[in-house]
Amino acid sequence: MENILLKKNTAFWIITILVLFVLSIILGIIMRLNQGAIIHLSAVTFYTDMTTHGLTMIGIWFVAGMAGINFIMERYVRTSYLANLLALIFTIAGIVMLWASTLVGNFHAGWTFLYPLPFKIMWSAWATPLFLFSLTAFGVGWLIWCLSLVTALLKKYSIPQVFAWQHFKKNPKVETPPFVLISMISLVGIITCLIAAVVLLVLLFSEYYSNGSFMNDALLLKNLTYFFGHTLANEMLYLGLAILYELFSEISGQPKWKTTWYVALAWNFTLIFILTAFFHHLYMDFVQPEGFQIIGQIASYSASLPAAGVTVFSVIVSVFRKKVNWSLSNLLFFIGVVGWVIGGIGAVIDATISNNFVLHNTLWVPAHFHTYNALGNVLFSLAFFYWFSKHYTNSKTNDRFSTLKLLFIVVGGIGFLLAFYVGGADSIPRRYSDYPEAFTSAKMLATIGAAFASVYLIGIFILFVNISNRCLKILFSRS
Amino acid sequence: MQNSLLLLFLILTGIIIVIFTYVFLSSKRDEQIQTGMQKALQKRFWFILILFIVLAIFASITIPKSPYFIFADEQPAKIIHVASKQFYFIMSDQAIDPENPTGESLIELNANELVEFRVTSLDVNHGFAIYNSANELIAQIQAMPGYVNRLRWKFTEPGNYDVYCLEYCGMAHHVMKTSFIVK
Repeated sequence: MENILLKKNTAFWIITILVLFVLSIILGIIMRLNQGAIIHLSAVTFYTDMTTHGLTMIGIWFVAGMAGINFIMERYVRTSYLANLLALIFTIAGIVMLWASTLVGNFHAGWTFLYPLPFKIMWSAWATPLFLFSLTAFGVGWLIWCLSLVTALLKKYSIPQVFAWQHFKKNPKVETPPFVLISMISLVGIITCLIAAVVLLVLLFSEYYSNGSFMNDALLLKNLTYFFGHTLANEMLYLGLAILYELFSEISGQPKWKTTWYVALAWNFTLIFILTAFFHHLYMDFVQPEGFQIIGQIASYSASLPAAGVTVFSVIVSVFRKKVNWSLSNLLFFIGVVGWVIGGIGAVIDATISNNFVLHNTLWVPAHFHTYNALGNVLFSLAFFYWFSKHYTNSKTNDRFSTLKLLFIVVGGIGFLLAFYVGGADSIPRRYSDYPEAFTSAKMLATIGAAFASVYLIGIFILFVNISNRCLKILFSRS
Repeated sequence: MQNSLLLLFLILTGIIIVIFTYVFLSSKRDEQIQTGMQKALQKRFWFILILFIVLAIFASITIPKSPYFIFADEQPAKIIHVASKQFYFIMSDQAIDPENPTGESLIELNANELVEFRVTSLDVNHGFAIYNSANELIAQIQAMPGYVNRLRWKFTEPGNYDVYCLEYCGMAHHVMKTSFIVK
């Protein structure tokens, strides 16, 4: 744990992520203000803003989870500092290329960049290859990082051990810590979806440089896009949970959580469910084989069983009538679990094919994914950031205004999200820069959403200043 | 339907918030009565079993109602071909030639008659989402280049129906709209 370089790198990750987070929230608020007709952007500006916001958010909260598990993994195995550094360099290079392609080149195909939209040039011609190269930079850096962490785990644990299969028998001789199990499950899922991203990028580059001699299949590429995008967005949440399993009990002053047979079983099943749930993004493509659609609904439903029955229940068991040393970190974890569960309910409702028929691509979609991100996964990572910054600056003092910060985040978050849910129930489409007059409630809801998102931003900004100040001290300290 | 889903969501959310608040407050009680959860493993088992049964019931009720299966055994009385293009829809009761796509300016359908929309795209992915006269989304399907998606629907209410694109398709996505009449 005394790996100074890793500590400094982690501090640098945290500062970078928080700066980009604040900027991306501002982009989000600008979008809602424009939808509320409070400000007036051109449609191109709105959609470039939307593309930048979506991809940056997914990218930063994925690397936040990765930076967190890499740092904690040092407790169990020796990880590669070089891989961590390379991931940082590739991520920053990717972000610079991404922002140049969108904000300078006006590339605006959305974070889903559904084929063949990136090739219908409505922006500077150079922006499409630059956008694809930005994804390549992310893919290369993250794949190296994941493979290096998996290698580090496999040097110490055999394959059955790292997946905790010995826990299916009584009295296992070797114990696999839950953190190791969940990290491995998540890393395998991430590597699988990054391989899908590599195939997707190879196919896109092949068409782009083929001068019309090669054409892709839209359905295949849509499947690949969501296999990559959905899985990555889900796995980043599981990375946050790996950190929760390790730190929640520690910060609360309780005995460390242990792997049991049902924890091992739940997480092994989670890997299967998470790799097949992405089909729910293609429910409205009726040409997709019906079997895949049903697998999508069953996998989406099934994923909630281990999540609720094991992880959420474990958090409840560890708090219910137990002594807990509450601090901002474990409060963030606790509230994050609530946000995750509520977002999960919204997601399961939408993952029901007959409901998706009237909810797909309405505001219900940003409603539920913002719930388990803005009030779920983000809070898990912020809990880690806060704990890290306090722990390694030996800061014993309790931050003032902790309740106020949480209040800003929770109240701002709830108001912001409710405007999305009500919009979804009002059939308001997502990803519209301006709303047609027929959607009578849309502008008002967007304005309310922007106002509450600004309250959320205040809470995040105060936390950002606290955490970043301490991380800067870690970065420039000699030890 | 959407309002019922919102209500269901809000009720479940309320229950979750009450449970977690209760659990949180229980950790702040006097240390003397902090006993933790009794028979936690047993309770966990029952919780998972109940959740499994509830989800299985939901799945078995909802999957047969999936749009792929409704009206599957009936013969459509009318077929409407839809070609989507940045940033407009072409609709016709005749097959649309992709090289020279043309359609009718006014589409009229009969109430209580089964219609099949054969939806494709001539460029990028689009959405074909039907809104009733109260501006509620009642049915939708994707328009994908190289594929024809078939949506079967029976309109019960006469009136004007709007169609919006619900799959992001570029800078004028939000103005991509058409309409038809049900008599």
